[in-house]
Amino acid sequence: MVETLQNLTHGFAIALSPTVMVYAFAGCVIGTLVGMLPGVGPLAGISLLLPASYGLNATTAIVMLAGIYYGAMYGGSTTSILMRIPGEAASVMTCIDGYAMTRKGRAGPALAIAAIGSYIAGTASVVGLMLLAPPLAAFALSFGPPEYTALLLLGLMVLAYMSGGSVPKSLSMAALGLLLGMIGIDPMTGYSRFSYGVVELGDGIGIVPVAVGLFGVSEILLTAGQAEMPKVIKPKLRDLMPSRQEWNDSVWPIGRGTVLGFLIGIVPGSAHIISSFVSYAVERRLSKHPEQFGQGAVAGVAGPESANNSATSGALVPMLALGVPSGPIPAVMMAAMMVHGVSPGPMLIHQQPELFWGVIASMYVGNVVLLVLNLPLVGVFVNLLRIPYPIMYPAILVFSVVGVYAVNGSVVDVWIMAVMGALGYLLRKFDFETAPIVLGVVLAPMLEMSLRQSLALSSGSYTVFFTRPIAATMLGAGLVLLLFSLRPLLAKGADWRQRFGLQEESTLEKEEEK
Amino acid sequence: MLTRDRIGGAALVLFALAVMWEDRAFPLGRVSKPGPGYMPMLLAGILVVMAILVIWTGGRSPALRTLKWPEAKHAIAILAGCAFAALAMERIGYRLTVILLVGFLLWVVERKGAAVTIVTALGLALGTFYVFGTLLQVPLPLGPGDF
Amino acid sequence: MRTRPLALLPLLALALATAVQAQDFPTRPINIVAPFPPGGQADLMARPTASAMEKILKSPVVVVNKTGAAGAVGMSFVANSKPDGYTLLMALSSISIIPEADKLFDRKPAYTMDQLIPVALVSADPTVFVVRADRPWKSVKEFVEEAKKRPEGLSYSSSGIYGTLHMAMELFVNAAGIKLKHVPYSGAGPALTAILGGHVDALASAPAVVIPHIKSGKLRPLAVWGDKRIAALPDLPTFKELGYDIEFYIWAGLFAPKGTPEPIMKKLRDTVRAALQDAEFKNAMAKLETPIAYLDAPEFQKFWDKDAKMLADAIKRVGKIEE
Repeated sequence: MVETLQNLTHGFAIALSPTVMVYAFAGCVIGTLVGMLPGVGPLAGISLLLPASYGLNATTAIVMLAGIYYGAMYGGSTTSILMRIPGEAASVMTCIDGYAMTRKGRAGPALAIAAIGSYIAGTASVVGLMLLAPPLAAFALSFGPPEYTALLLLGLMVLAYMSGGSVPKSLSMAALGLLLGMIGIDPMTGYSRFSYGVVELGDGIGIVPVAVGLFGVSEILLTAGQAEMPKVIKPKLRDLMPSRQEWNDSVWPIGRGTVLGFLIGIVPGSAHIISSFVSYAVERRLSKHPEQFGQGAVAGVAGPESANNSATSGALVPMLALGVPSGPIPAVMMAAMMVHGVSPGPMLIHQQPELFWGVIASMYVGNVVLLVLNLPLVGVFVNLLRIPYPIMYPAILVFSVVGVYAVNGSVVDVWIMAVMGALGYLLRKFDFETAPIVLGVVLAPMLEMSLRQSLALSSGSYTVFFTRPIAATMLGAGLVLLLFSLRPLLAKGADWRQRFGLQEESTLEKEEEK
Repeated sequence: MLTRDRIGGAALVLFALAVMWEDRAFPLGRVSKPGPGYMPMLLAGILVVMAILVIWTGGRSPALRTLKWPEAKHAIAILAGCAFAALAMERIGYRLTVILLVGFLLWVVERKGAAVTIVTALGLALGTFYVFGTLLQVPLPLGPGDF
Repeated sequence: MRTRPLALLPLLALALATAVQAQDFPTRPINIVAPFPPGGQADLMARPTASAMEKILKSPVVVVNKTGAAGAVGMSFVANSKPDGYTLLMALSSISIIPEADKLFDRKPAYTMDQLIPVALVSADPTVFVVRADRPWKSVKEFVEEAKKRPEGLSYSSSGIYGTLHMAMELFVNAAGIKLKHVPYSGAGPALTAILGGHVDALASAPAVVIPHIKSGKLRPLAVWGDKRIAALPDLPTFKELGYDIEFYIWAGLFAPKGTPEPIMKKLRDTVRAALQDAEFKNAMAKLETPIAYLDAPEFQKFWDKDAKMLADAIKRVGKIEE
């Protein structure tokens, strides 16, 4: 412990030195801006600044790139909350309740809670990174294909908790999303599936165009022609800060989101987006007022936003402790390290303590910077809502188009966005939830790949899922969760058709139970 | 009889069946060694089952004719705009596309005045080009005369 | 007799025009397309090359990432772009694999190899064969023995089916006459994670990526797929020394679309030749632990043809995975 504190002090000395501070600040600001732009995520920001970082020394370069990474998680919530457009893929869940809060006039509190939750999660997870990096990384490495499959199946069960209302409807949306995830070149055999000769579809339809189209564009399609446009909200100063009730409602979601996000972020290969989905589902499950979710429940903003911030620290654990990239963004950061002659690997913490502790300390500092940056900006951003909707939505559309195009420089992505926008419009008209689709698109390729890899390793035997302890535990936990969710069904002996039916009747029944 | 859920469910069933049809080109493999066609077939099957459940329990959802489409014309116009953007962007360049798109949306669809339209269209086109093209170094396509 | 001198005029004009063009070249920024995401091999090669070329040409040379479909998107983009010398491609050896894979699946090829002409080879990293250090095999011989005793009992990971790491291993498997379990992953990073986590036994990898793990004792190198031993691991025998006549390099080279005029090509080749001598470039490559392996266009073409043929044969041999 003493050694840790000593190292940390040394790290702070580095992090607070003027050069490092300047670059950390620059990284945070750029990250926030990049996160705010729809579709464009931290990967774009990091790629942009990668060449610029070559001229810096290793520690400063990584500090800056890391700043972009977690800064983007702060910025991503802004457009999600204000306009229902995911600033970057992981902020999709914030769109749902965040935008609902905006419609209720609570945009300021939503932004504030997102920022504060992000700060708490960001800082707490750096503590985790600092203290637990090596053992956690070793644990993460032991995740092989069977463990991934079990984890992803567990993630799928999350879908069952994610939406209220009709179970067949949300499951069919999940199945639809999973099917859409099948588009592309099959990584196990090389066949191109459902891509009809379009080369760009080889990697699948891409989460960004899907998220932006399904959430952002469909919202525009639904609202733009309405006789009654969303009223211009003139926010008062009082309305910018969260109420006492909203604070109370956020505390536990932030805590749970932090832990969940960190753990999920550690597992190499899991996407950030999973952490926010899981957090949303958990909050919904544990909430005393689950019916508020979708209508502006604060927990639906606090939880996911905290989760995606702590997932960034989690993702850095395998990278710093073992030299193992846990996703495309850590991979780019590792490349940056290699360019500077620092070879990432298990000896990094010992051989380059300056780098490790400097980055850790700068993350503490960076989170403070971001909080200070974002909170006052809440007032600025909320004023964006004054712009009349008929002028606002073409602007949103332009940002969406260019943001989606920016991901790969490909027009195909713009087409996908348009198609998904139309699909989202139709689905919402027919009262289908669109969030499960996004989760399905993300999970399907990963789930299929790890299932087939597991079978390849075990030569076709399914028992591998039960003989490996971690996988078996997770599957067991998933089964327990599934049974729990069915228990009300069985115990109350309720009319099962009602369970499958519309929400109103279930709440009515709850009233009758009282 | 024709309720929203039933139509929605029916559409999903048709889609799932179409997927199954397309999937027949790929080897299915065995349960112990799934081929490229396996997962899509399985998922399409699950979709069919779920969609049928939706149809079955769909009797209690609101009738189809209660579904109003006041925003449909607007929505179609906006979608046409998006399609135009996708088609035009790499042919006439980004900025010109945005000007035309925003001009269309504000002038034709929303019937705003000329001043608002021109200012917003130019502002958005040039502004976003600066942010994304110049600052973020995104290779946005250039149009005639490199505009 | 009088018409002949006149007939020469248009030819003269054309020659002058292209010469002038080449002299003025470049008048705009040159784009080097890296068909992989930032931080990937192609990108890491392209950036030092671009900045060295920029210094020599005194005109901007920009790296553009056009990702997708394991590089197919970027490669087909350059193959179909105007052959005016302003759009170049920094490709890896996978350039030869993709059209073959397309042929295998009767797909319309994203591009064909004769749509591109080589400018220069920049680097050629021989792949390294590593196994987990906690497994008992200390030499290729022991590994092969074990594999023969247990067909499909040992496993290896790769960056993806028909990818470079898969093909490298394929050559070995074919030469040694053994059967191994192939577990494809989605990229070199996950493939490395897999062997580090103990989920597979072996991996063919670029040296720079695995050297830190060799030094820390997690992985053991058994052989290298090069013609000669590599400087970073001088005690590591080559497969050729061990009796297997196989070679595999993950190389990076600069290409231009076919039809780029000869004078412009010459200027590009001269520029790249000079760029690779640049001190800063050498420095950058040294930091990446990637040796520079320069080949000018004609030699590169020969190298490429040989490499492409070898890969095509390997792909045909692997065939489609009929499950």
